[in-house]
Amino acid sequence: MDWNLLGLSFAMVFISELGDKSQLAAIALSGSGKSLRAVFLGTAAALLLASFLGVMLGEGLSQVLPMRWVKGIAAIGFVVMGLRLLIGGGETEAEDEPSC
Amino acid sequence: MENSSLPSASATVTCEENPTCEEVAICEEKVVNFPAASDVLIETEQSLLVDSIATIDPDVVTANNVIETQKTAWQKYPAVQVFLSTFLTIFLAELGDKTQVTTLLMAAESHQPWVVFAGAGTALVATSLIGVWLGCWLAKRVSAQTLEKAAGVLLLLIAAQLCWEVIHL
Repeated sequence: MDWNLLGLSFAMVFISELGDKSQLAAIALSGSGKSLRAVFLGTAAALLLASFLGVMLGEGLSQVLPMRWVKGIAAIGFVVMGLRLLIGGGETEAEDEPSC
Repeated sequence: MENSSLPSASATVTCEENPTCEEVAICEEKVVNFPAASDVLIETEQSLLVDSIATIDPDVVTANNVIETQKTAWQKYPAVQVFLSTFLTIFLAELGDKTQVTTLLMAAESHQPWVVFAGAGTALVATSLIGVWLGCWLAKRVSAQTLEKAAGVLLLLIAAQLCWEVIHL
């Protein structure tokens, strides 16, 4: 096991992901407070799968996937979630206090 | 005919307590193998059904029940919905992101993709854990309505950033 490489990759990804859009999305989605565990699992699984594909496919990824379409679909998804929060704000359920 | 005013209620009760209406189909399969015995079975069950639900078609009753259970199961687990929507949007947004480019470059340079994946993976789990924890921390201190507005605006800003990336790709 190359501990240097492990630490380096951890540090690089950790620093570059801090305050990045996926973390902001995690903050936004968990703050609106439906189910924290689902938000955490969804975010972590998506990030792990994305980086797994990146490591395995390498440079070929951008040739396999039409990046413009992928990003465009993601943007639409974020718009839908954002609008759902902004417009459907009245239906806040009185859920029990989240434990964190 | 007096029973016809509350047919659905009595029918639902029968199906839950004594699921004969769903088992009729299974019994009909048995007809092929054991004609004599299953004929008797079907006759008794059908007479039970006819007694209890009068003029209601058993197929309709079961279909209604199935629809109702599916609806409640979906409403019971909004967490699945949250998980799927979070997973899909973040996965698509992160594909081809700078983090992914960093990891794939490191993996290619070092020829040890699993070590790079382990490091990157723990970092990603850590950042998402911090993100969720921060959101939860905020939820305790800021009112739900303010936070929902802020979260909605934040998600729209992320969408705008993605659109910008699409244009300048």
